[in-house]
Amino acid sequence: MNTQTGALLHQAHMTTIEALQSLDELLGSNKKAPAKDDLLARKLKQLARILKSEVESHFGFEENHLFKVFVEQGETGIVTMLTHEHRSILPLALQVADLAVAAAEAGFTDATWTEFKDAGAELVEREIFHIQKEEMGLLSAISALVDPETDEELADIYRREVG
Amino acid sequence: MFPGSFMMGAKDRLLPPSVPYRFFVAAVAFHLLAWVLLLVGNDGVLGFVGGQGMVLAALHLITLGTLAMTAMGAAIQLLPVATRRPLGPIWAIKLMFILYAPGVALFAAGLAHSFAWAQHAGATLSVAGLAIFATLVGTNLRKVDDLPGVTRHAWLAVASLIGLAVLGLLLVIDFTKGFLPDHMAAAAAHAALAGYGFMGMLALGFSYVLIPMFVLGSAVPDSVGKRTALLSGLGLALGAGGALAGIGPVAALGIILGLAASVIYLRGMLASLKTRMKKRLEPFFRMVWIAWALLPVSLLAALAPALGAPLDPWAGLWGFLLVFGWLLSFVTAILQRIMPFLASMHSSALGGKPALLSHLSPKLPVDIHLGCHAAALVLVSVAIAGGWVWPMRLGLLAGLIGAIAFGVYTIEVLRRYRSHMAAAAAANQQG
Repeated sequence: MNTQTGALLHQAHMTTIEALQSLDELLGSNKKAPAKDDLLARKLKQLARILKSEVESHFGFEENHLFKVFVEQGETGIVTMLTHEHRSILPLALQVADLAVAAAEAGFTDATWTEFKDAGAELVEREIFHIQKEEMGLLSAISALVDPETDEELADIYRREVG
Repeated sequence: MFPGSFMMGAKDRLLPPSVPYRFFVAAVAFHLLAWVLLLVGNDGVLGFVGGQGMVLAALHLITLGTLAMTAMGAAIQLLPVATRRPLGPIWAIKLMFILYAPGVALFAAGLAHSFAWAQHAGATLSVAGLAIFATLVGTNLRKVDDLPGVTRHAWLAVASLIGLAVLGLLLVIDFTKGFLPDHMAAAAAHAALAGYGFMGMLALGFSYVLIPMFVLGSAVPDSVGKRTALLSGLGLALGAGGALAGIGPVAALGIILGLAASVIYLRGMLASLKTRMKKRLEPFFRMVWIAWALLPVSLLAALAPALGAPLDPWAGLWGFLLVFGWLLSFVTAILQRIMPFLASMHSSALGGKPALLSHLSPKLPVDIHLGCHAAALVLVSVAIAGGWVWPMRLGLLAGLIGAIAFGVYTIEVLRRYRSHMAAAAAANQQG
């Protein structure tokens, strides 16, 4: 990864994958709703924060800034595909994040656990498949298609808007 | 290497699903038929060192029918995406299939029943299909200079394909004319070029793109790809040349270079795996582990006949470990993964959410296939080494059950994809 923008996006992917794997473990190790405790509450709040950052700020940066650079160079296919995936992941991630925040406050009921589990499992699969495509396609392609000045500008925007 | 090249432009370069899937379905059908033929002709498996009949027919159903057919289907889809250059017109790809698939069937029927006309016609059609494939791949690769890890192996595969096709045609004609000075030596060179050259080089080249992508691991450095291509090229030249000339020590030197290449390749793959973001490996990886373990084992087994050990059982054991151990395990692993992967990529064409991979891939059939394939590898290897009939029959039966399970998996992936598309079309009409 030899561009600043690519490195920033890659770092965000690493954080998201870690959160998704931790979610996957939580779902896999609890057939029934887990009892509420401080550790679980902390984990759920952290998960919600990472998911919201990924689908709101990270997706927003890609769609509003990065993808435009690719479209200008005629690389519309992957932009269309990734944007389409964003549309299916975003509501799912927000649903999981909202359920996680609510459970961190009040714990899970059987019904909210089932809802969290179903949405969470689907999110893990969709988001990992999506990151797989971005890691092997989008990020490295930045180094081939984005000139150093634009990379600098994009990285500044990313730091400002995403953090 | 430019690792991002794989997905970049992917959507623009996806072929209509029916194009790659016809190759995959044919590969799975020939896989099943091969195990049927092996079971029918099981008397000839022990002590097999060549000659026409059910065993040679089954062997070619696997090599031409399953391995090369999958390589063609995968390459026509993956190569233009990996190299970011078009492969060629779809009519040429369809013509390739129209010539090749019946050619393989006819050739295998000719070998099974010793019909010279069917062998000649089948071999001609098969080689014509392969020639179109080599032309398409060669034309695509000529414009690529930024993917040395992939392209150097692909070039070696094309060169090996030319060599194996020439030797293969000579061997077929020799069945009736008997003009070759040493039929067995030519057959050994043909097998080395086909197994390690054509199929092996495609497997290595595509591994460098596919494996890091599937596990979210770091890209394999270009230097690794360049080194394995150089060693493999030298190994193939010495191995196949030594076998053809009947000079065992030269062939053995080629095998040692091949072993060195395989060690570097495996170390490169393991380094990518170590850095992977996805901690849990997907089910298809179990078959990849088997394949990777048996690649160097097959080369070690090849050393024995090259250094003068008796052809029975060593040639048979080498051939089995190469074709069924390393290559068939690797190819079915990749098939297991790319069939639902491509289906998922196509599944958003009508709008709506893309189909989940887990919804497209039934687990039970691949579990059965894994168990049966592993049992077949162990039982048949033991039977060949010891000359035992019953482990052989049990092993062939396990192989057949595994092939049936893999067929069920393929049908189910396609059925689930179609069902997803039908639901998407219905939703579109309502919306």
